[in-house]
Amino acid sequence: MMARPRRSRAARPSSRDQPATGREPGDEATDRGPGGVPEGGARALPSHLANALAGLREPIVVILLIIGFMSWISGKPLDGLLILLVGVSLAWDTGRRSRPARPAEASPAATSPAATSPTETSPAEAGPATREDAVLTATAAAPAPASVPAAGAASGAPRTPAAGGPHAPARWRRPALLTAGLAGGVLYAVVVGSFSRYSWPATVAVAGLGAVVVAIGWRGPRHARPAPPRPPAAGLALWGAVFVAGCLWELWSLLEQPNLATSSYAHPTISTLTDPVLSTWAGRSVVLAGWLGLGWFLVER
Amino acid sequence: MNGHDLTVLGYLAILLAGIVLQLLATRTRAPIPPLGKVIAWAMSTRTRRVGILVAWAWVGLHFFAR
Repeated sequence: MMARPRRSRAARPSSRDQPATGREPGDEATDRGPGGVPEGGARALPSHLANALAGLREPIVVILLIIGFMSWISGKPLDGLLILLVGVSLAWDTGRRSRPARPAEASPAATSPAATSPTETSPAEAGPATREDAVLTATAAAPAPASVPAAGAASGAPRTPAAGGPHAPARWRRPALLTAGLAGGVLYAVVVGSFSRYSWPATVAVAGLGAVVVAIGWRGPRHARPAPPRPPAAGLALWGAVFVAGCLWELWSLLEQPNLATSSYAHPTISTLTDPVLSTWAGRSVVLAGWLGLGWFLVER
Repeated sequence: MNGHDLTVLGYLAILLAGIVLQLLATRTRAPIPPLGKVIAWAMSTRTRRVGILVAWAWVGLHFFAR
């Protein structure tokens, strides 16, 4: 029953999809339906709802919604709320991008071979949303810092004179950024590690950084690079088996507890095992540094 | 061996399996990709990228946030 409005919307593109340059002042009357209802007003909600429902076809979206719900009911409402928010947003975004677009509506960047060829997943294994992912992530990729002076020179922009030759700023910029990033990471780990676990300062610091990193990842890869080939299926299955085994072992330990909020010595979860380490400032700082390093590693993929 | 030891042993066995897989991937010609390549491939679409980064953020929230 829920899919019925979506089919009717897909047959008739929304006003948001219309090119802005093709409208004339006298065309405003066409924005209204038979009952005089603005296209982008009261009918926008079913369109967004249809997009979100279409995004539920992605397994990761469903997993995020389940994790958010489980976190919510197990006494971590903030975790649950944030993950549910991301899950719904991702469902909407995935559904929006997976909807078929008319060729005339496709942007020049999306139809350009140069924009679609160099990166991301191969079309043979990609669905509509994945193909759109490839286009969006390729065009959203930020240029490498070293290319900035060269681009400036190509466009005729004046170059800043610097000692050591024209490429000196680019040569020193990356190490300087790396050093600043490392110093900032150490400072973050030490300062946030000094906060008590589950305190509001720790919550704000961790949730804020997590939100920033997810937002960066949402825009696409930071560096344009060729699409990684799909690894052999057997190898993927082995890594998947290890990952699933870890999740199931943790789940089994969790379910063997007296309840979800009370830990068990006989069946400790990873959280219970790490409690002694995270009870000290140094332990929290080391774990935070590792968490930051993993986040940096992921963002750079 | 009690339940606590058995549970910890299970975690260690899974960790060891991951280390063995990584060693097989990097030191032999077995058709096993290194974990870094698996993650790079998994991050090649926006949906999977966001999902993995949310999982990373959830770890931080779980251990430190209220």
